[in-house]
Amino acid sequence: MATADESRQTIGDRLADRREQLDLTRVGLYAALITLVGFYLSPLWAGLTTAFKTQAGFVNTTPLEPPTPEWFTIAPWADAFSVMQGGLINSITFVLPATVLSALLGSLAAYGLTKLSWRGQVGVLVLFLAGVFLPYQSVLVPLRQFWSAVDLAGWLAFAPFLANRADLIELTITHTAYGIPICTILFRSYYKAMDDDMIEAAKIDGASAFGIYKRIVFPLSLPMFAVTLIYQFTQVWNDLLFALVLVTSRSNYVVTLSLNELQGAMAQEYNLQMAGAFIAAFPTIIVYVIFGRQFAKGIAGGT
Amino acid sequence: MTELTLENVTKRFDDDGDVIVAVDDVSVEIDDGEFLVLVGPSGCGKSTTLRMIAGLETVSDGQIVIGDEVVNDVPAQRRDIAMVFQSYALYPHMTVRENMRFGLEESTNLTDKEMDSRVEKTATTLEIDELLERKPGELSGGQQQRVALGRAIVRDPSVFLMDEPLSNLDAKLRSGMRTELQRLQEQLDVTTVYVTHDQTEAMTMGDRIAILNDGELQQVATPLECYHRPNNVFVAGFIGEPSMNFFEVTLSDGQLVGDDVTFEYPLSASIRETLDSRSKLVLGIRPEDLEIVDRAETDHDFPAVINVIEPMGNENNLLVDFLETEGETTFNVIVDGMRHLTAGGRYAVRFPESAIHLFDRETGTALHNRQVENEPELLGPRA
Repeated sequence: MATADESRQTIGDRLADRREQLDLTRVGLYAALITLVGFYLSPLWAGLTTAFKTQAGFVNTTPLEPPTPEWFTIAPWADAFSVMQGGLINSITFVLPATVLSALLGSLAAYGLTKLSWRGQVGVLVLFLAGVFLPYQSVLVPLRQFWSAVDLAGWLAFAPFLANRADLIELTITHTAYGIPICTILFRSYYKAMDDDMIEAAKIDGASAFGIYKRIVFPLSLPMFAVTLIYQFTQVWNDLLFALVLVTSRSNYVVTLSLNELQGAMAQEYNLQMAGAFIAAFPTIIVYVIFGRQFAKGIAGGT
Repeated sequence: MTELTLENVTKRFDDDGDVIVAVDDVSVEIDDGEFLVLVGPSGCGKSTTLRMIAGLETVSDGQIVIGDEVVNDVPAQRRDIAMVFQSYALYPHMTVRENMRFGLEESTNLTDKEMDSRVEKTATTLEIDELLERKPGELSGGQQQRVALGRAIVRDPSVFLMDEPLSNLDAKLRSGMRTELQRLQEQLDVTTVYVTHDQTEAMTMGDRIAILNDGELQQVATPLECYHRPNNVFVAGFIGEPSMNFFEVTLSDGQLVGDDVTFEYPLSASIRETLDSRSKLVLGIRPEDLEIVDRAETDHDFPAVINVIEPMGNENNLLVDFLETEGETTFNVIVDGMRHLTAGGRYAVRFPESAIHLFDRETGTALHNRQVENEPELLGPRA
């Protein structure tokens, strides 16, 4: 009996030990997670507090300190917005078509590469793949030379409204072309998993290749469209490099260029720059909220 | 009136320089309204043949004729055929109504009203009219199967192609659908090619069966003809469940002598004449044609022991072994379900001469098939 009691005790002790251990790992885990969250959020937080402080407040307090009523202001937001207004509108006018076009063309190309059979597919696919790995920097000079040679503004001289925005049209076309490879690859993997029997059934039902795309493949790839739209929108919206080399007239400045303008030549107005950065980032957040659910579906590969 | 004719149809696939012949010189004529079952083991080329008829695969050699048009170069869209896929291949984002309308919208000029009335009529026939506004994801397997069938029927095509349409259903549903499909096909009277690997489906559904093996056509005949008068060993073994028993025998002195078994079987002169002086043979006999008797009485009886009895209710499935022999020689015998026999018991097994088949061992060709009394029944109504 004594031995039984003893063993029971030891089991109880062991259980208690284990509970203690478990709690410790839990505590450690949460501590680590909270530290990481704090680490990643701190720049955002600092930016946000800075944007609500006066210049004097920024100089006299640490960035992580929330603005006290003494230093609180919303003037930087108003100022930044008035400078960036034009840029925001310009960005929206070229980013939306560039995003939609690259997703649509990428989807069409991927359909052609997976569900239709023709000679030389592999070669074309290799070109698309190569396109994905082409760095922006490597094409800057030829790109500038190309658009100088083409003289789009000259071509559009008959319509002054378009001619004045030739820079934006160039950006649209460039970003569309640059976005097609990655969109194609994304759609390709999605379409490869799509049921071939279904495509063949549609064929036997009398649908043409484009009819099958329009009525079967396109409606079934909406989750993937959400993925590519979010991805492309963010990419194109945040791009500064192409805009720097392609946009020549100040009236065509896009949001990244006007954000760059907030950087004063003499004094750095950090509150203004921070407010500008948040304004510039805002549309991408909106897009993510709108398409977020579809995005998750597309990433998970559900149809 | 739509006949479907395959003339010397061949399909070759190029596999990294190696040419693989999937379908080898297949010729079949399918009458208007006929139900032809293409059957064979997996990889025998039956699905490839069906896909060539559908226009989903190109034809390497030969011709496919639908009606009186050679369709080798006609795209699938314009062949006026409908196909039911094993996976059903329904469009998941469309309702049942839209699924069934799709083919009508793409291939006819009917008005919306006409399309709807055709869809509804077909749906009523198939008892899926309650499901018209649902999506495929909300249906059970059996219901999806009906929708797939409805999608094909509603188009009123000149040829139906079915690629193992029942193999994703559970056993009970499958036998129900088997009869229903047959009834529908008879009612619609549309030329149908039905692919399956299941010999039961082939036997029960087809007006005629075309048996394929290794891309080559083995026999095209009515189910009963394939069963009782097989062209070769392959057909004899493939059709029938449990399959025919085979024994390797040699003809000497008017007797069939077993190669592995102590077995001497006197053969009548009339049968010997059909053997074309071949001596290396395969003796085939169906399990239900063998008889179990208490002791050997005639020279066609052989002492045997029953190893296993599987009672099926209507019949008993026996695994039987010859007594005076060594090695594995087990074969199947089917006897009446109410007959009392004991496992391990010694009996004799009778090989009635009227029921034996003899095949050339080298080529597999049938040299002698069993006697059949009711000849017209064997050849079917279309003969």
